[in-house]
Amino acid sequence: MLASIKSNEFKYESQKLAMNYFRVAIVLFGAQLLMGLIAAIQFLYPSFLFEVFDFNVARMVHINALVVWMLYAMIGSVYMLLPDETGIEAVGIKLGKLAFWVLTAAVAVVVLVYIFVQVGPGNEATIWLINEGREYIEAPRWADIGIVVVVLVFYYNVFATYTKGNRTGIMTVLVADLFALAGLYLCGMFFTDNISMDQYWWWWVIHLWVEATWEVFVGSLAAYGLIKILGAKREIVEMWLWIEVLMLFGSGILGLGHHYFWIGTPEYWWEIGALFSALEPVPLVAMFVHVLYDWGKEQGHAEAGQQGHAVNNTPAMAWIAINAFGNFLGAGIWGFFHTLPQVNIYTHGTQFTAAHGHLAFFGAYATILIGMMYLGVQGAYGIKKMTMTFKTKMAIGLIVFGVLGMTVSLTVAGYEQVLVERADLGGGWDAYFIAQELPWYLQAQGWRLTMGLVTFTGFLFLVADLLTIGKTEAAKEEEVQAAAA
Amino acid sequence: MSGKKVSVWTSITFWRRSAAWVTGTATVLLMWLTFNTMGQIAMGSDEDLQNGVTKRIPAPTVINYKIDYKMDEKRGHEVPVIGEKQPFFGKEWSAEEAAELLRHGKLTQQAKNCMNCHTLLGNGAYYAPDLTKAWLDPKWNDGTMTGITGKDTVEEAMAEFLMHPSQYPTHERMMPDLGITREEAVALVAFLKHMSAIDTNGFPRNFSQSAKRLEGGTHAR
Amino acid sequence: MFEACTDLACDNIFALLNQGPLTLTIFLHTVIIIPMFFIYFQEKKRLQEGKEEPQGEW
Repeated sequence: MLASIKSNEFKYESQKLAMNYFRVAIVLFGAQLLMGLIAAIQFLYPSFLFEVFDFNVARMVHINALVVWMLYAMIGSVYMLLPDETGIEAVGIKLGKLAFWVLTAAVAVVVLVYIFVQVGPGNEATIWLINEGREYIEAPRWADIGIVVVVLVFYYNVFATYTKGNRTGIMTVLVADLFALAGLYLCGMFFTDNISMDQYWWWWVIHLWVEATWEVFVGSLAAYGLIKILGAKREIVEMWLWIEVLMLFGSGILGLGHHYFWIGTPEYWWEIGALFSALEPVPLVAMFVHVLYDWGKEQGHAEAGQQGHAVNNTPAMAWIAINAFGNFLGAGIWGFFHTLPQVNIYTHGTQFTAAHGHLAFFGAYATILIGMMYLGVQGAYGIKKMTMTFKTKMAIGLIVFGVLGMTVSLTVAGYEQVLVERADLGGGWDAYFIAQELPWYLQAQGWRLTMGLVTFTGFLFLVADLLTIGKTEAAKEEEVQAAAA
Repeated sequence: MSGKKVSVWTSITFWRRSAAWVTGTATVLLMWLTFNTMGQIAMGSDEDLQNGVTKRIPAPTVINYKIDYKMDEKRGHEVPVIGEKQPFFGKEWSAEEAAELLRHGKLTQQAKNCMNCHTLLGNGAYYAPDLTKAWLDPKWNDGTMTGITGKDTVEEAMAEFLMHPSQYPTHERMMPDLGITREEAVALVAFLKHMSAIDTNGFPRNFSQSAKRLEGGTHAR
Repeated sequence: MFEACTDLACDNIFALLNQGPLTLTIFLHTVIIIPMFFIYFQEKKRLQEGKEEPQGEW
């Protein structure tokens, strides 16, 4: 992936820019995992880095690096597919490149301030310059404004290229979805002294991102990936995409209600949140069926007719298949577990949420974005047919096993908290610590750390693979061609 | 040709139009619901408190009152109950003073990044206790924390703890010193007291019973 | 099956529709889904008449 800075076969500047976004994304992914390990250690050994690099700092960087690396990889994915879909170069590519460097410089400053300044005095200046203290969107206000400007440049590029080039169904969905995605960020950019009002709008950003617009975005990426990797028929893929949009937005938009059970909002949200969000897994099943159906069908065509394998990028296809399953399992099943208010009154604010968060962010987003990176490497080296290496398999195996392990551990910890702290003891300071210090909980945290280390090892294989697979596979293809000639 | 067999279920146009309809309607409904909810979660006024009008989010001057958390038979869960007047840091705060204090408290809560260890209204991180009803927690009201900090009132004990948290450890896992000043600590306590008066539809469930249950109704220890 | 509103404020449309288990949410689901029948039959008619897919409109 790094070597592709020098040698790359891309026809379009837009796709070269995409690789830059992927490179930063993978670095931030690494930062996310390291911060997660620090936080996981602190659960077991609370004196680790106490009053030097406290849990709140590690956790803040952990979740911010997560959000930012995903946004980077998402922007990269769009720049990657934009010329393929529209058939033309991104319209404002120079502006796009400038925006990349501005955004990257801003992200670097924000992270350094998080790490070295950490917290500030309780006044407006802290909100503007250090951090906003609102989970997931802690970025200080100056950076918020910078992000909006950069996103406007990006959106201009997508929209102008769309109107000038081919208007495929995939692009139509993306253009509408990205508009909503970018606009929603504005809901998180104000201060109020009313904590209920604060959390009401905060969820507009968080929920309507991860349970609506991001999911539709993933649907579009999967549609693009299936056409690109399998040669799936566009009419069928795009029909599925519209069905997914219908079901994702139909359940996801009002599914927002499941965050409004206990934050001071009226009781009618109980049933709105309950039934709409209970339907949220349905489109995820549809996506899973869609991916596997197309895979099997195209594979069958290839075996019956032309020679060889239908999949022209097995690492990317593997990650997309894991996405289809992980999205359903992590977002669908683990989300449904605690979405009903009767259950949620006990699970809300326990490790149960963390279990769901880990598997959902990984299954729904990390997987397909890694798949897009493999598509990028394939394009950068002009490889016709890229196959898995040993490193690819190690990366997939260890990361999937690690994340599943963390999820199961946190689920056990969550159950224990729900039953002991909440159901038995009714919550509160002492109830909390009694539950935190029971062996069941500590064992679960121990396994979480272990599985975190497994995931990190997998990540190292992933980086090594992304850096080398292009060169290896290109050389292999040249050899075959030379032998044939 | 009205009897001709056609497949609407595989028509892209059908799905596209349906997707547009469903998305649009859901969005409009959400906006309508939001307007309704905004009205219900706007902060009440000082007059509401004086006249005994219950609001989901009371006025900042709720810090001048005693707050309790009790089972409500009609609602079917526990609700905050605002009682008689009670001095807060030894005085009664005017509407302006209380509003300013709450604002400072909320700013401090964000600036000190409380939410990345604690949960507020159940949202945040899970490294430290939930703060939704912290003001009412038995730990502060049964003499434990007032004793440890050597203070007479809950608010003074909380402020002292917030300024020097690692001097008063109760568990191996401690709150770090975040450089909280006396003024910030007072404001944070006001923020916490106000939050405990928010009607959270019964979350956390059975919180009002937690002291009784801890007394020996459990084998969890 | 039907229960009186137990919320703090009952004088609004959503509390009014909330007359016991799931009444409000089923109402909202119905509002969203019913017009899809109209879209279905309109689309069926269009396909039977063999008209081209309308461009640039929904």
